[in-house]
Amino acid sequence: MVLPLVLSLLALVALAAPMLDRFLGRAAGWPLAVVFLLLGAIIAVDAPRIVTHGEDIEFSAPWMPTFDVSFNLLLDGTGLLFVVLVLGVGALIMGYSAQYFSRGKHADYYFLMSLFAAAMFGLVIADDVVLLFVFWELTTICSFFLIGRTGLTANKPAVRTLLLTAAGGLALLAAVIVMIVHIGTAQLSVILADPAWQEDPAFATTVGVLIIIAAFTKSAQFPFHYWLPDAMAASTPVSAYLHAAAMVKAGIYLLMRFSPALADNVTWNVALIGFGLLTAIIGALFALQRHDLKELLAYSTVSQLGFLVAVIGIGTPAALAAAGVHTLAHALFKATLFMLVGVIDREVGSRDIRRLTGLRRVMPITAALAALSALSMAGVPPLLGFISKEKLFAGFLEAPGPEFAGPLVGAVAVVGAVLTFAYSFRIVYGAFGGPTTQTKLREPSLVLLLPAAVSSIAGLVLGFYAGWLDLLIDRIVLDTRGIPGEVHLSLWHGLAPEVYMSAITIAVGVVLFVKREAIDRLLDRPLFPVTGVGVFERCFDGTIALGARVGDLTRTNAPTRHLALPVALIAVLTGAVLVGGIGVPPFPEPVTEPVDWLLIGLLVVGIVGMVIAKSRLAALALLGVVGFVVALFFFLLGAPDVGLTQLLVEVLTVVVAVLILRRLPTLFHPTSRARKGFAAVVALIAGSAAALGTYALTGRREISPAGEYFLREAEEDTGGTNVVNTILVDYRALDTLGELTVLGIAGLIIIAVLDSSGLLPGDRGSRVATFSGTAIGSATGNTVLARTVGRWLAPLLILLSLYLLLRGHDEPGGGFISALVGGAGFALAYLSAPSAAAAPIRWPYVGLIASGIGLATLTGVLGFADGSFLRPLHADVPLFGDVTYHFTTALVFDVGVYLAVIGVIIAALNRLGIEEYEVTDRGSMDNRQPVPPDGQAESPGGQDTADPAETTSVAGGEQR
Amino acid sequence: MTLALFIGVLVAGGVYLVLQRGMVRITFGFVLLSHGANLMLISAGVAARRDEPLVHLSDLADAADALPQAFALTAIVIAFSITIYMLALAGAGKGDDDTEDRT
Repeated sequence: MVLPLVLSLLALVALAAPMLDRFLGRAAGWPLAVVFLLLGAIIAVDAPRIVTHGEDIEFSAPWMPTFDVSFNLLLDGTGLLFVVLVLGVGALIMGYSAQYFSRGKHADYYFLMSLFAAAMFGLVIADDVVLLFVFWELTTICSFFLIGRTGLTANKPAVRTLLLTAAGGLALLAAVIVMIVHIGTAQLSVILADPAWQEDPAFATTVGVLIIIAAFTKSAQFPFHYWLPDAMAASTPVSAYLHAAAMVKAGIYLLMRFSPALADNVTWNVALIGFGLLTAIIGALFALQRHDLKELLAYSTVSQLGFLVAVIGIGTPAALAAAGVHTLAHALFKATLFMLVGVIDREVGSRDIRRLTGLRRVMPITAALAALSALSMAGVPPLLGFISKEKLFAGFLEAPGPEFAGPLVGAVAVVGAVLTFAYSFRIVYGAFGGPTTQTKLREPSLVLLLPAAVSSIAGLVLGFYAGWLDLLIDRIVLDTRGIPGEVHLSLWHGLAPEVYMSAITIAVGVVLFVKREAIDRLLDRPLFPVTGVGVFERCFDGTIALGARVGDLTRTNAPTRHLALPVALIAVLTGAVLVGGIGVPPFPEPVTEPVDWLLIGLLVVGIVGMVIAKSRLAALALLGVVGFVVALFFFLLGAPDVGLTQLLVEVLTVVVAVLILRRLPTLFHPTSRARKGFAAVVALIAGSAAALGTYALTGRREISPAGEYFLREAEEDTGGTNVVNTILVDYRALDTLGELTVLGIAGLIIIAVLDSSGLLPGDRGSRVATFSGTAIGSATGNTVLARTVGRWLAPLLILLSLYLLLRGHDEPGGGFISALVGGAGFALAYLSAPSAAAAPIRWPYVGLIASGIGLATLTGVLGFADGSFLRPLHADVPLFGDVTYHFTTALVFDVGVYLAVIGVIIAALNRLGIEEYEVTDRGSMDNRQPVPPDGQAESPGGQDTADPAETTSVAGGEQR
Repeated sequence: MTLALFIGVLVAGGVYLVLQRGMVRITFGFVLLSHGANLMLISAGVAARRDEPLVHLSDLADAADALPQAFALTAIVIAFSITIYMLALAGAGKGDDDTEDRT
């Protein structure tokens, strides 16, 4: 239980960090450091079990059982080493942050750093590859935000880092998938123990390469090394923690973790040793070129990570022991150096070694601590870095392959170590050596130096007492190679070859330091024709440009370009199917009735008319005709509900369209001959395809089993005799609920569109205006007939609609049809009113829509009483005597349908017929004056439809 | 057979109008296309059975398949809401309902 406990506490700490920051400001770092140490102590209680008895601490909980993905945690020796880094260095950095930052709020910083610690902790204890991937990505994301929070200049580095490490994350994901599919489990320890790694080299190499790509991006190996110096845009504590001690070690961790499976794979060995040493050398060369201390340290990290990668690639027990020791040594000296560079930057205001000089006299403690760490990095006894460097050398000499491989790799490693020595001295001498010019500088407070002192001195103490680490390193060898290590760390262990290598390193290194000016001159030129950042930027820009090029193909607002292609392609597909030929069974019964032809004749007249019509009003009238013909056809096909719905929709479509048409020119846009021809060709092809498809593919069978079932069982199941309605509100009520939601959203979108862009002004170029003042132009006079009829017809329609709603379950009717009839009633009331303002359509339409969907959903929830969402409940309500009324919640559901549909219709009438309002006071209904009905006065509020605020305020008034 | 022809005419007219430049014509084309699609849904039943699916009135041996009818009914209402949305778009903004630049 200790693992999930610590993990969840870390996550909690992250959540609590902003709160701490609120009370303590930058000092929030101290309690966080204490918490990290306490959590470390909790782990330490179990540490002896791990290192001495070879036990693992495990935890398992189900996560995604259907995919066999579990929340498996496992802490072994390798994990323990990295936990020490995460919590130990983490505590130091938190303490450092409490002094380093300026006073004030750093809530996001502490949150992200704690979150990163939790993610990194999770990463090194994850025993499930999916879990491992999740934590891996989480560290990437934390890094992105921590770099990006520094300011505008950090934007591009943050994005570059994110894209590169996320690309590596994708490689890891690919590896995870391949492993799960091939081995059949997601548990990491089981995967690593599988014989497939030895038996199936293709699988092993594939996964190996993917793991290598992931690790190389994370641990900044060539050719991905450039992101690490780029990431130095982050603040110094971030660099010290993420980009020196912890996150960049995630790649090292991954390589060590997969060593048991892949250490004998030749591709693995060659790639890691080759790229690792190459990175070590060029990283060190770049470090020797740099003047900015932080950048120099970044390249030095790249170089040291190169050593680690190479030695893991060797794959022998001694090599992996070396990797373990050096990981720890590097974290100690590199975190110290970063913290001290931060101190110098803060005190002196520069990190450039050309401007820093002689600081040893004014900042002696800082100088001593830095020197101690730099010596450790250079591999000088008696520091831990010396021991780890010797172990590295010993490991390199065991390089697999031909006889000469060991000495060759060893020689290259010595060259890298010499360069390391040179830049280590360059750091110390650059900042602290030379004449002291800034004599007024003082040593910073000891509290600020304390964390750096701890890690620096730890490197010294562990140099003398390296034997303390033996058990841990032994355990790591056991984890990574399966055999217990026989490691004895000490400063002196006889005249082994690595001792000579160390001696050469130090001797040549001293020479390089003495000749530093010549070296500087030699290196003061570009080493490569391109920079990593430059290459990345070119790829990045190229990708964006390519995307733009692809997007250009369809980048137009003209719907024709978007619509013609899919239509034509569907038609071509149909043609291809026809050419290929399909077997069609004969019709079971004749499917044509003579009366159908009459309808087709009417339809053709309507459609041809619509196609050639130049006047919008004529086209609309013909659209109505077509709609009625279609509705008739529905009736003929035995679909009275559908026909009724179609009929009503047709009426309402015409009403709404009229509201729009009066805002538009009388005639359509003139169409060019070419366009007509093109449209006609596409239309004929599409029409033929639709006709042929329908002809060949439908109607050639008996009724479907589902249809049969509904007809037979509907009354028994639901108590309703109108099968269509029972399907809508009972069998497939979820579909209807979804439809209702779509409908409601469409209503809201209409409101939103009109709020944001407003309507075109009405009655433009209107011929009505010429009659203004006369009897013909009088709206009041002209609507006498409609008003007289409407006065009794509109309420009747509303009543009719309620009747249709109630009977819907048994006879044609139901929520949709009744709402459309009710909507028609409102439309009639609107049209027969002398002005829009006088029309009785002021209903809270948004409320209607929302309550409709809400009511329907609520009814659905009631269904849980009978076991499932949307299941209707039934009850017989006694009325009088023996007469009972069969009540079902399906009816309530239908009421919801009714409310939503009528809400949308009223919304359309209100918002599209809004012209005549004059808005004098924002948002107040009471101040809205109807315009005199003769149409003479132009209402400024109504005309100014381009002003969304005005329109919005009308809408606001509507809701109240 | 007649149903297929009917759908073909609707789709041809709809596609022709949808390929025009004015939003109103595009909307009308969309309405025609949705008519065609709804009838296609109905035709997924069996056009030979043309009695209403009302249990207490019809001979169930000849009653039409109710399931495609329910689909079509739903589709009609959704098409209606999209139609008024498209009409609102045609009437919104400035100028007229042109969807293309005048150049």
